[in-house]
Amino acid sequence: MALQGRSPSTRVKAERRNALLAGYRPLPGAYDEFMAQDGSIRPHWEPFLTEWSALSQDELSQRFGLADRHVRDTGVSYRVHGDIDERDPQAGERAWPLSHVPLVMTGAEWQTIAAGVAQRAQLLASLLDDIYGPGEMVAKGLLPAAVVTGSPDYLRPLHDAPDGGSLQLYAADLGRGPDGRWWVLGDRAQAPSGAGYALENRLALARAFPDLFRTMNIERLATFFQGFRAGLVAKSRRVEPRICLLTPGPMNESYFEQAYLARYLGFLLVEGGDLMMRDGRIHVRTIAGPKRADVIWRRIDGDFSDPLELNARSALGVAGLVQAVRQGHVHVANGLGSGVVEARALMSFLPKLGKQLLGEEMILPNVATWWCGQPRERAAVLDRLDEMSIAPAFRSAGSGLDSDPILAGELPAAERAALRARIEARGMDYVGQEVVRLSTMPVFQNGHLQPHPVTLRVFAAATPDGWKVMPGGFCRISDEPDARAVSMRSGVRSSDVWVTSDTPVEQVSLLPTGDRIAIRRVVGTLPSRAADNLFWLGRYLERTEATLRLVRALLGRLIDADTTNPARPDTVRRLANLLVAWGAAPAAKAATGRGAAARNLAGAKGSPVLAQATSALYDAAEYGSARANVGEARRTASVIRERLSIDAWRLFGDLQRQLTLEPGRQPSEGEVYEVADRALKTLAAFSGLSQENMVRGAGWRFLDIGRRLERGIATCRFARHFAETTAQSDGLDALLDLTDSQITYRSRYMLGASLQPVLDLVMLDPYNPRSVAFQVDRLDIEIAHLPSLTEDGMLEAPRRLVLKLAAECRTSEASRLDRTSILLFEQLLMGLSSAIADRYFLQNSGPEGSRLTGIA
Amino acid sequence: MIYDVRHLTTYGYSRPVPFARCILRLLPRNDGGQTVRRSELVVTPRPAERIDGICFFGNQMTTLTISKAHRELKVEMRARVEVNRPAPPFPGLTRHWEEVGALALASTSLAPDSPTHHLYPSRLVPAVSEVVDYARKSFSPLRPVLEAASELMARIRADFTYDPDATEVTTPLAEAFRQRHGVCQDFAHIMIAGLRGLGLPAAYVSGYIRTIPPPGQKRLEGSDASHAWVMLWCGPETGWVGLDPTNDLIVADDHIVTAFGRDYADVSPLDGVLIGPGSQKVGVAVDVIPIG
Repeated sequence: MALQGRSPSTRVKAERRNALLAGYRPLPGAYDEFMAQDGSIRPHWEPFLTEWSALSQDELSQRFGLADRHVRDTGVSYRVHGDIDERDPQAGERAWPLSHVPLVMTGAEWQTIAAGVAQRAQLLASLLDDIYGPGEMVAKGLLPAAVVTGSPDYLRPLHDAPDGGSLQLYAADLGRGPDGRWWVLGDRAQAPSGAGYALENRLALARAFPDLFRTMNIERLATFFQGFRAGLVAKSRRVEPRICLLTPGPMNESYFEQAYLARYLGFLLVEGGDLMMRDGRIHVRTIAGPKRADVIWRRIDGDFSDPLELNARSALGVAGLVQAVRQGHVHVANGLGSGVVEARALMSFLPKLGKQLLGEEMILPNVATWWCGQPRERAAVLDRLDEMSIAPAFRSAGSGLDSDPILAGELPAAERAALRARIEARGMDYVGQEVVRLSTMPVFQNGHLQPHPVTLRVFAAATPDGWKVMPGGFCRISDEPDARAVSMRSGVRSSDVWVTSDTPVEQVSLLPTGDRIAIRRVVGTLPSRAADNLFWLGRYLERTEATLRLVRALLGRLIDADTTNPARPDTVRRLANLLVAWGAAPAAKAATGRGAAARNLAGAKGSPVLAQATSALYDAAEYGSARANVGEARRTASVIRERLSIDAWRLFGDLQRQLTLEPGRQPSEGEVYEVADRALKTLAAFSGLSQENMVRGAGWRFLDIGRRLERGIATCRFARHFAETTAQSDGLDALLDLTDSQITYRSRYMLGASLQPVLDLVMLDPYNPRSVAFQVDRLDIEIAHLPSLTEDGMLEAPRRLVLKLAAECRTSEASRLDRTSILLFEQLLMGLSSAIADRYFLQNSGPEGSRLTGIA
Repeated sequence: MIYDVRHLTTYGYSRPVPFARCILRLLPRNDGGQTVRRSELVVTPRPAERIDGICFFGNQMTTLTISKAHRELKVEMRARVEVNRPAPPFPGLTRHWEEVGALALASTSLAPDSPTHHLYPSRLVPAVSEVVDYARKSFSPLRPVLEAASELMARIRADFTYDPDATEVTTPLAEAFRQRHGVCQDFAHIMIAGLRGLGLPAAYVSGYIRTIPPPGQKRLEGSDASHAWVMLWCGPETGWVGLDPTNDLIVADDHIVTAFGRDYADVSPLDGVLIGPGSQKVGVAVDVIPIG
């Protein structure tokens, strides 16, 4: 970095430029976004190329590193379909494959795309209103009825329902043909994904190339989202509506995006189980009882949204949602039936429908399509079968094809004949389409740029001021030089789309201006499911901490082999047994008995105790191990990702890395001790973050309640284990270690650890932040702040129990504490945990619980 | 013919169910040669909310919410229905099947009785090529559609065994087809899959058939429970014609139609979701008494 601040010479820049461009040639017969046919660079890419030429390979890699780190740190991920492992939900999650070169487009060219996409959105919205309403287009013969009824997304129960097929967010997949024109390849009207990823790509690349981003006057995205949100708000009758983003859950391939958008837009992220229908209205189950949902932005398919009136096999929806929509009490965006206009069969009818419904010619053509449900079109497709791309006319219809188009000409003769026969028999299941050749754009690979095929996804939102198109979007870049079907699921990268402007762009943020907004301090509603997960997140984190403390205390005693202390082997044995009882380590057969423990103290490598400690740290198969608990914590957190800061999320990655052992390695005592120590520091950072950075809303309280409860329970267990009347000071010393109370004890008592002072400090002292009494005091405060459902002034069960516990703590005396009375504390804490769960969490109360059996 | 129909369904739960939401499609249709003189639906315990309406396909649909804890749910439908259907067309005089398919496909109607709703695979009737091949044997070129369909119906009746223990509501069509065993629901689904595979509009019907056979005749299968059969659209003049593959009968006045849809999922008589971890037992009793 010595060269930083000094601009490289012109000669160096020219060399770098040549190196970047070395071997870049547009593919024959394809339009290249970056380079004209004569080899010249298209002018709007010049600023980009100039900036890149000013950077050395090292500097470039460093910039890429910034972008990649952003992707990694924010946890941007998507899930690969069919790659789901219930036991390890992270297994199918992939880091987002970001290409570091954005697609650069001029403002003038973008104007056409934006106008075309907005027009198409408007057309499809009008068509949806007609399909679910009067049906004039069908009656007039402009659209065959069978093009509507063939779609599995034509949801008949939504017919004549208000907004049964309304469109709020639409996306078009575009490709540029060899002649330089953009074509619509596909329509996304069901629940388009990718808007959030576009935002993430933007942040990542803008972080890597901030100057370029500024000097090129790249259009900002925030206005678009503002408009989208305003469009949803306008659909509600309330001034400050509760808007929910209905997600299929963390197993969905784009769950990250959904959580991200919910946070970005300030929506409540809910799963079907969080919602319920009562009296024709949809409510969110929250810790303060049911709260009305005004608008639902769904990211689940319409058909899966209501197991009662739509797909009975769906476990994702809300029983009764269709009824609520029909009664007009909730607005669902996009309307449940909106998917019907995604059908490929529809494409061939859109130009005529555009003239009829909008009185306009289509600005952007769609790829030439023939629906084989019409005799003449079918004959035309069969005539030219070998040069056509054949695709299912509808999603999951009876075509026997995958959703992607196939090139009939490339099929073996027998398969082609079979396809021909199927089209002849049931033409309505197929469309023939002109084969699309995509344009290419540069991808940085092995030190230079290479052309790769690209498609562009452009988003349009219905705002109170009409359809608005996101100035940008996201492009998907194929890894194959010859791609005719690009899917995010295999071998594909994505990148940002930069639309340049001749004038500086206006800075917009989603933060509203202060004077229009009523000030509020505690915002939002906490769904019961989120409360449940925050509570368990707290418990798992605390459980991890307890295991780490056990390992550290155990290893500390193994390393510092004080052979003169006769009680030492006994303490080591007790600590190891606790790990076993905890479920963190397997029982060691040889580790019982004084002799064995003594041998372990000699520190022989591979000793049973060391093996147990290693397992307690790293072994995810032991459910009580630190590694397993961190995994559980992360899984729990992933469900409420929108509620955690990026910094907090990053700590999970750090912890998991720290607690992962290279296969085949046998760490030494010192190493295991070190790792436990370091992981404890990382955990402390999490506590710090939640103490310092989380708003003291109900969410934080549940996290804290979880931690306090678990800490109280763990402390009771430690105390029971070491505080016997016959306890020796070495064991009490371990107890002080485990409860992190060593320093406090030493500052108060000059003598070594003795039973009653130790017990008072770890159990009853309300001033020791690690004591059980302290946890109970905190629990009392948190629970008192939670909403109450009773109106008769009676205490709810959790509060009653915590008050009882607090009284026990205050009135107990250390001299009377023994294993039995400590166990009583422990049981009271567990009872409190159940009472909290009963009162605040869902506890499989969803009406989706089970179904009536049908009768034939 | 006038019938008194009584259909009693009883659910018993091993544990109290605090909440249930159900959809009932039990009240007979009042069209297509059928007049409902009177009908009622009695539910115990009394629902907190009850919405009576008509679904897309014109079937009576009742949505219930029960928010009182209960261990037994009883749904009783009683109706007096007069059936006086126009005589079915003479099969040999119907349009040929290729033409019927083409006419259905070219339809310019999305109305509930439009044949276009019944041309494609549906939830419980996927495209199964073996079934289509089986059906095709009856559909020689230019054969009148009802003649070919009647033959298909007769073959299903001959080749398949009525066996209430062979399948459940959830048994996939392809499996029932391979087993050659099943109940009215399976036979109807199989026949529909075959007809649709050939491009013909075929619908699913739920209802009842008379319990007591006319003197000297055999008792019909499926008379002790609700029944199901097929409707085939035979062209704009003829419209929909009922075909009962379980009994190899073209539907006349022995059948009472409750609901019409694409498959069982559109017309299931009683469906719902409930809270509660317990198990359930179902009892069904059906009486169809001709009173003159």
